[in-house]
Amino acid sequence: MSHEKNISLAQLAAGVVLGLAFGLLLISRLAAAGDEAAGEAAASQSAVVTLSAAADLVAAAQAADEDVQETVRRFADGHDDVISIRVVDVKKRSLLASTLDADGAPVRLQRKSEEHKVWYDLGKSLQAADKANRDEGRLWKELILTERLDDGTLSLSAPLLDGAETSQVIGVVLLNARAEAPSLGTARPSPWLFLLLGTLLALAVAWPLRNKRYPAAAAAGTVAALVLAFFTFATLNALGADRLAIEEAVAERLAADAGRTGTGALDSSTWDVDPFRQPRSIIATDGTIDADAVDASFASTRSRFRNVFSVLSLLGLVLFSFVGLGGAGRTVQTIRENREAYTFIAPAMAGMLFLVFFPFFFGLTLSFTDQTLYNVNEPFYERWVGFDNYVKILTDFNIFESAEAGGGVNYENFYWTLFFTICWTVVNVFIGVTLGMALALALNTKDLAFRPIYRVILILPWAVPNYITALIWKGMFHQQFGSVNQILQILGMEPIAWFDNTLTSFCAVVTTNGWLSFPFMMVVALGGLQSIPADLYEAARIDGANRWQQFTNVTIPALKPVMVPAIILSVVWTFNMFNIIYLVSGGEPGHATEILVTQAFKLFYEQYQYGYAAAYATVIFGILLIYGTWQNRVTKANEGV
Amino acid sequence: MFLKSRGTIPHWPLHLFILMMVVITVYPILFVFTVAFSGQQNLSFVDLPPDPTRLDRVRALVPWPENVTLSNFVQLFSEQPFARWLLNSVIVSAATTLVGVFLACTAAYAFSRFKFPGQRAGLMSFLVSQMFPGTLTLIPLYIIIVQWMGLGSNYLGLVLVYSTTAIPFCVWMLKGYFDTIPRELEESALMDGASTPTIFFRIILPLAKPAVAVTALFSFMTAWNEFVLALVFLDQEEMYTAPVGLRFFVGGYAENQWGYFSAGSIVAALPVVFLFMFLQKYLISGLTAGAVKG
Repeated sequence: MSHEKNISLAQLAAGVVLGLAFGLLLISRLAAAGDEAAGEAAASQSAVVTLSAAADLVAAAQAADEDVQETVRRFADGHDDVISIRVVDVKKRSLLASTLDADGAPVRLQRKSEEHKVWYDLGKSLQAADKANRDEGRLWKELILTERLDDGTLSLSAPLLDGAETSQVIGVVLLNARAEAPSLGTARPSPWLFLLLGTLLALAVAWPLRNKRYPAAAAAGTVAALVLAFFTFATLNALGADRLAIEEAVAERLAADAGRTGTGALDSSTWDVDPFRQPRSIIATDGTIDADAVDASFASTRSRFRNVFSVLSLLGLVLFSFVGLGGAGRTVQTIRENREAYTFIAPAMAGMLFLVFFPFFFGLTLSFTDQTLYNVNEPFYERWVGFDNYVKILTDFNIFESAEAGGGVNYENFYWTLFFTICWTVVNVFIGVTLGMALALALNTKDLAFRPIYRVILILPWAVPNYITALIWKGMFHQQFGSVNQILQILGMEPIAWFDNTLTSFCAVVTTNGWLSFPFMMVVALGGLQSIPADLYEAARIDGANRWQQFTNVTIPALKPVMVPAIILSVVWTFNMFNIIYLVSGGEPGHATEILVTQAFKLFYEQYQYGYAAAYATVIFGILLIYGTWQNRVTKANEGV
Repeated sequence: MFLKSRGTIPHWPLHLFILMMVVITVYPILFVFTVAFSGQQNLSFVDLPPDPTRLDRVRALVPWPENVTLSNFVQLFSEQPFARWLLNSVIVSAATTLVGVFLACTAAYAFSRFKFPGQRAGLMSFLVSQMFPGTLTLIPLYIIIVQWMGLGSNYLGLVLVYSTTAIPFCVWMLKGYFDTIPRELEESALMDGASTPTIFFRIILPLAKPAVAVTALFSFMTAWNEFVLALVFLDQEEMYTAPVGLRFFVGGYAENQWGYFSAGSIVAALPVVFLFMFLQKYLISGLTAGAVKG
């Protein structure tokens, strides 16, 4: 068609504008948020410097037996942003100093005062944190705590040291400061300017090619991609430069505080520290900034920004080709033409997309991360572990424990659980089919008395909610009071602790599942039997077939079309029969009777390993998928015969 | 009786076999009733003497309580929060039914009556979604509903999830029924100037009442019996649904209260058992038909 060859320039322009605007504005917005976070970090780092200086000063004053209250006041006087500094000694239970007159420092801590209690507890927890770090020989408890209060000010606390060689924590220094983010000098590139210039440039390049649809689009797309790439580059550079500006602000504060303490004896290089009170090694004693160190500390953040920006740029380009090549127009037209149908579908489809399809793909994505309950706040890219989870699950062949550990089966191994699940499924389906068929054949006997009553009673286990069935049987298998053990004792046997042994535990869950699953098979088989015309048997009899021959040559072939789908269904149900295992045996003893779905659930619900559990569930999905395709092929082949 | 014609077999072995299965079937149910009406919290119907004889043990097996009392039921509602849990279950199941049936009816109508791009893909995607394993979607659903939307102990979270997971089955079932309704009815209504919504609400839905009713009851039952999602989502005791609450009685965290559990099980199970008996023939035909198609 002719209109397919030419490109609509209006459409192309709309595509360029939308694609570029999407990419540029979102990148710019994210960069602004990044700057804001950096400013916040600078403000709190400056506060950390001041707090460390104050703590150092107090420790020195105490060691020299000077007036702590006086020292703190003098130090605070020079700071515009400091609201209060308080020094609390936990050992002496007293507020040594405070810049606020209302506190009346120095004063003993009062039990009744809420405020005093908070300070005291804080001091105690810092003492404990310091002790924990020393005992374990690793840094895992933060010593400098920063919190942004509701009124927008920063509240920080650092340990007060006793000034001796061992530097024991004897209390806490509290700082309340107005958080003033330093002004960041570097201007980020303007997205609007890039949008305007980029659009003009793209259209200018596409103009000579306007008679050729795809070359024109490709040219405009290339320009858009270059514009986005250049914008990303410039923005990242500006962000990097801002980092340096932040460090300059911190360095300035460091120099100012060093001058203000006045003693000169204090080492200001110990003031620029991380929350574990370890030097950040970015600002030297003389105030010079190590640009390489700044760069290194920014590296991970930069690569994160770069990844996100690249994804946004790609999305922008996708948007461009969708709109620019007319896909959007056609979609809008299709929707308009089938407005009624889509209106009827929309609510259900929205629900399915949001709560069925999205979770499914989200789950698949999760399976490639090491997400747990505890690291949800970390950025997504840091949690990415590739195929690690799958490798861990599928290549762990330590099915047997080492000899020292007892040499038994390692019940948490995937292959044991898989083996157990297969046994569980096969045994249960076998029992269900056998019992169901037998009962159906019995009930199908002509003129059998009480037939309707039997049928209603025998179908009951299917009607009872299976979580109730499971819990009832859990009670029946109770070691002391359960009916099963009572029967054993009547028969002169010892009572059995059903869930202490893998085999007896298996018997218990299989019994429970057998009880609830035979009615389904019975009903299906009964339906099949009743649909067999009586003259088939008549004909068989005339041909001289005996009872057994009638059964194998008439009954079985006639039942096959209804029983095969029922068996297929029942295999999947049993494979996924969560409630029985979870509620009856609970995997006892020691996860031995866990099936795949309960194991995946426990990894998620009890061990909080979301990523690993998602990978486990994906493996289960894969197994079911393989089973499904295999079963499909087999039934198709059978139908062909 | 002794002169049976050739080809028939005596009935008594069949009765024996069936009666044995009937006993096995009925015993756990009688067991629950006995514990429920015993007025006690433990599993034994009678107090066994320290050194029980065989006869004592046989007596302990007979599902009839020493004293028949309603005290477990009375206390279940007066001293335990079971009334609240039951109410939660009713609210969640009823809302699920309403939302689920509405979503399924509209979608099934569109799939049955309109021709539009994406029709086949949409229907197939519903079918495929039935294969997604529950455990795989459970984790993301927990993150979305509880962590992102904060709907953990909230009716809305459960209702949303229950009604959407029931959609595919309901849509396939309803579409099959809608397909059997002759189009002439709608065409004549169109002639008379009726709009599509009018046709849907005034003609199709009333005609499809039996199928809609079955779908609704099915949705209700699924929501009423659901255990795992409720267990994961609900962390406040007062928001428990009946299944989670019943598990709570015998979950092993505290002293097991088998009496409350049994009484509660009877209350929670009776309605669905009756519903099931009424629905079974539709369910069976739906299930086997689906299996053959799939």
